[in-house]
Amino acid sequence: MSDESPNDGRDGTAADSIDPKLLEILVCPLTKGPLRYDREAQELVSEQARLAYPIREGIPIMLVDEARSLDD
Amino acid sequence: MQGPPTIFDRRAVRRHRDRAAAGLAGYDFLLREVANRLADCLPDIKRSFPTALDLGCHSGQLAEVLAGRGGIEWLLQCDLSPAMLAHAAGPRLAADEEALPFADAQFDLILSVLSLHWVNDLPGTLAQIRRALKPDGLFLAAMLGGGSLEELRQALLTAEVEVMGGVSPRVSPFVDPHDAGALLQRAGFALPVVDTDRIVLSYADPFAMMAELRGLGESNAVAGRQDHFTPRGVLQAGARHYHQTHGDRNGRIPATFQIITLSGWAPHESQPKPLPRGSGQMPLADALD
Repeated sequence: MSDESPNDGRDGTAADSIDPKLLEILVCPLTKGPLRYDREAQELVSEQARLAYPIREGIPIMLVDEARSLDD
Repeated sequence: MQGPPTIFDRRAVRRHRDRAAAGLAGYDFLLREVANRLADCLPDIKRSFPTALDLGCHSGQLAEVLAGRGGIEWLLQCDLSPAMLAHAAGPRLAADEEALPFADAQFDLILSVLSLHWVNDLPGTLAQIRRALKPDGLFLAAMLGGGSLEELRQALLTAEVEVMGGVSPRVSPFVDPHDAGALLQRAGFALPVVDTDRIVLSYADPFAMMAELRGLGESNAVAGRQDHFTPRGVLQAGARHYHQTHGDRNGRIPATFQIITLSGWAPHESQPKPLPRGSGQMPLADALD
């Protein structure tokens, strides 16, 4: 986001931290199967769908269009 | 297997929201008005909702309205547009209403303000919402309904036939309130209720109104719409028809938004239900005497 934005979405948490409660409730949108949190890569990995969903600035992007294929 | 018909271009919906995100604060009057009306429904329900979800949160308007209200302890916000989320605060994620990323029975309350009218597979989305609710959890949503933007629809239709000799969809088709109740029931909601309300806003001219819709990220995203732009001649003829048919004495024009409010509960044994057929003990004739 640009710096000139009036509300830049900061909420006092570290940029790469993810709400632990979120990890409990999220599943893969495609398969509804479990996700593995890859802290290093900041990704939520769905082995069933062979997709990794990115976490950007603490926000999981659970969109199939934005996910990285594990088979590439 | 063939999926549900594609009415809306979801990538366009996302693109419109992404583009609108930075400037939304200047155009979010309708969004805030509807969010306020929806939030006002909650105090009537004597319940607390520890874990809640806002489906299609835009840049956090409902969360602002709800702050400290409705017995909500944890509100998760989600939107199709990551750019919108960047302007919101608190727990949030990007998700597509058509493919929800939630495990079963997680939420006490799921809310949605002006988002579900862009969903292609509304029955599928409603079924996913019901599954994400805990038993006895509440779904409460406001979406645009079939009577919305009727003035614009008529004006552009007349103009397009006049200028182009044919029509293409320029105003999004909306859900009919009569269908919405049946959809809730089909998705397995108990005690479904559908309510409709009208909000009429006044604008200097149709261009100001269309600028506001664009600013809200509500530009037409109907799949099969004619490229990105409505030709200038059609717009100008449309604006003329709009003024002629609906303009008031001050030269301003009204725009009608029909708001459909849906509510339903995830089934739970504590809820009232009809008795099984044939379980009556008294003949109907006695009751009618």
